Amino acid sequence: MLYADFHLDDFNALSDADFRALANRFLHQHHPPELRSPAKRLHWDEVKPWYMILSAAGWLAPAWPREHGGMGLSAAKQLIYMDVFERFGAARSPDHGIVLLGPLLITYGSPDQRARFLPRIITGEEIWCQGYSEPNAGSDLASLRTEAVLDGEHWVVNGQKIWTTLAGDANWMFALVRTDKTAKQQQGISFLLIPMDTPGVTVRPIINLDLQDEFSEVFFDDVRVPQENLVGEVNQGWTMAKNLLGFERIFLGSPRMAANALARLIRLGAHAGLTDDPLFVDRLTRFRLDLADHECLFETIADRLRRGQTLGPEVSYLKLNQTQLFQRITEYMLEIAGAQGGLLHPIDGDRALNPMGQFLVSRAATIYGGASEVQRNILAKTILG
Amino acid sequence: MSNSLEMSEAIDLIRRSTEGLASRRDLARVRALRYKHAGFDQAAWSSMCELGWPALRLAEGRGGVGLSIAAYCALAEEMGAALVPEPLIPAALVAALLEGGPLESHLAGDTLVLPAWQDEPDAAAPSDREFLRDGRLHGAKRFIPMARSADAFLVIAPDGNWLVAADAPGVTLSYDETQDGGHYGTLLLDGVEGEGIIGNAGAALAEACLATSAYLLGVMDAVLERTAEFLKTRIQFGKPLASFQALQHRMVDLQLEFELTRASISDAAARWDREGPTDASLAGVSRAKARAAEAAALIARSSIQLHGGIGYTDEHDIGLYLRKVMVTAPQYGSARLHRQRFAALMPLQSED
Repeated sequence: MLYADFHLDDFNALSDADFRALANRFLHQHHPPELRSPAKRLHWDEVKPWYMILSAAGWLAPAWPREHGGMGLSAAKQLIYMDVFERFGAARSPDHGIVLLGPLLITYGSPDQRARFLPRIITGEEIWCQGYSEPNAGSDLASLRTEAVLDGEHWVVNGQKIWTTLAGDANWMFALVRTDKTAKQQQGISFLLIPMDTPGVTVRPIINLDLQDEFSEVFFDDVRVPQENLVGEVNQGWTMAKNLLGFERIFLGSPRMAANALARLIRLGAHAGLTDDPLFVDRLTRFRLDLADHECLFETIADRLRRGQTLGPEVSYLKLNQTQLFQRITEYMLEIAGAQGGLLHPIDGDRALNPMGQFLVSRAATIYGGASEVQRNILAKTILG
Repeated sequence: MSNSLEMSEAIDLIRRSTEGLASRRDLARVRALRYKHAGFDQAAWSSMCELGWPALRLAEGRGGVGLSIAAYCALAEEMGAALVPEPLIPAALVAALLEGGPLESHLAGDTLVLPAWQDEPDAAAPSDREFLRDGRLHGAKRFIPMARSADAFLVIAPDGNWLVAADAPGVTLSYDETQDGGHYGTLLLDGVEGEGIIGNAGAALAEACLATSAYLLGVMDAVLERTAEFLKTRIQFGKPLASFQALQHRMVDLQLEFELTRASISDAAARWDREGPTDASLAGVSRAKARAAEAAALIARSSIQLHGGIGYTDEHDIGLYLRKVMVTAPQYGSARLHRQRFAALMPLQSED
């Protein structure tokens, strides 16, 4: 069997060092070289080969239990998995079904729903997108207005979602929809699974600042969704989605984006002939120290996960700090790139010398997953009540 | 660490043992000692010695307690939160190098020996200036905290270490007051006879540097706690200051700096406990000190702004923390110096 070396009954029985080595070996042997460290989020037709390799090897869903086709990794092993994949520059697969929907179905889904949906995520037959944000419900997600009204055996959905990542590649969406307009905001929301090929669903790609069509608007016009596609209880969608936003929040604070940017800054500095320039060295050293301290803070919080604790609001410090550092590094890249910092394409055609792209991409980091200002609001409650 | 439970118990014990001597709630004692001759309280110092604080890091065979640097940092943090002026960190530095009778007397608090290692205003180690000429000591050591109370000095130089009595012939002392209410001594040696002390002060200086970072962490903790309390109770425009988003966000940014400092110090202490002095562990100490010095300065001066007019009075305690940071942040090397050290210890190519 092609992936027999990587098929273990219990990954958690390995030592941390052995698992790290195994994950590295897996990536070196099987990751398609041309997809490594992509400059943008890849579309399904580009990343599909890698997804199918992960699937065939049983390495697609690190957090899922074994009985559902996952790796069943402990918190400690999941952190290693993430670290190794990020350091390697593994292409990110369309992972909303794996990271967000799977755990929610496993916790709250009916046996029928689990049997119907989970295996098709693992096989890659069904790719999911996430329908949460709306034009008037971004940071204030609970004010979302896309509504679903029960009509016989169907929910009839009307409204609009936005910032839906890779919506055009997905054949399914899991969405938060309003099912009770009279209840308090958070209490009238349900969790609905919507086939993207249903009549009345329209996807319109949005070109982002980096000139990529990574996310879209999705419109719903009398979209009829079978009643059994509602997960959990009616009007419990907000609570379910929120409860599952636990472990993954640490990923938004991973040092890797800032670390990659720093590596690119060093290359750009060499390109600009600044390697021994004392002012450049001073700035670079500050960034290196900022990154090293961020890694210390990340480990402090990762340790809590390893000890089986749940994450509190303090995880927001990681996201806040990491994204700011990422941005400051890319801002300095533009500064030292001089006139080349205004070019549309990478300098000398070298993908690693793309301060403009890095700068633009970093703008999104302080907005998605809870804008920095919202993170500060959350954290302020822990300090000032 | 195999005995991490034992360690955390020891740290809890240390934190509790500071309660009587290092109150973070009542700074009346600290305030009363400012700008006085000694700058600290001999009776309090004797009690600290009885509790074994300067001997915390010494092996049990040398009359010490044999605890980890993580435990020492926990103690230093409590001292910082209470703005304790007694010279724990310099005394512990000396204890690492002394032996025999002088060590016993120093640990008991009967005689106080202070380290005289610094030549330049910004330094983490002695300069290359040598002191021994014709068998006698010549030169000047500066920035010795609380020097008025020293019975002797441990002169640390590249050509050796020497124990010098404060009243030895050829010794001249002068003093400069410091912002926090203490003072620095300058030790002038003009043909002085010293008793040679064997040993390399490098590791002891690095430990003092990390403990100073932890002391600053404690200061930050107390400043943030007091500032949060102030914002919650001070009413303006008909509501508590804590309800204003501009102030909330400033507090979060300050707390983030505190969290980063704490993580940086914990990591540096754990590495030091694991591997002793190595390039990587020394770089960790420099990283932690650079962060602590800058974060403490930011938090202390921001707390003045957040207190408004009352923060600009000497009567309010918040200013005591700012003055302490002005004095402590550059001790054992400024942020600038430690960034340079980090870069020298960890050249780029060795990073991955």
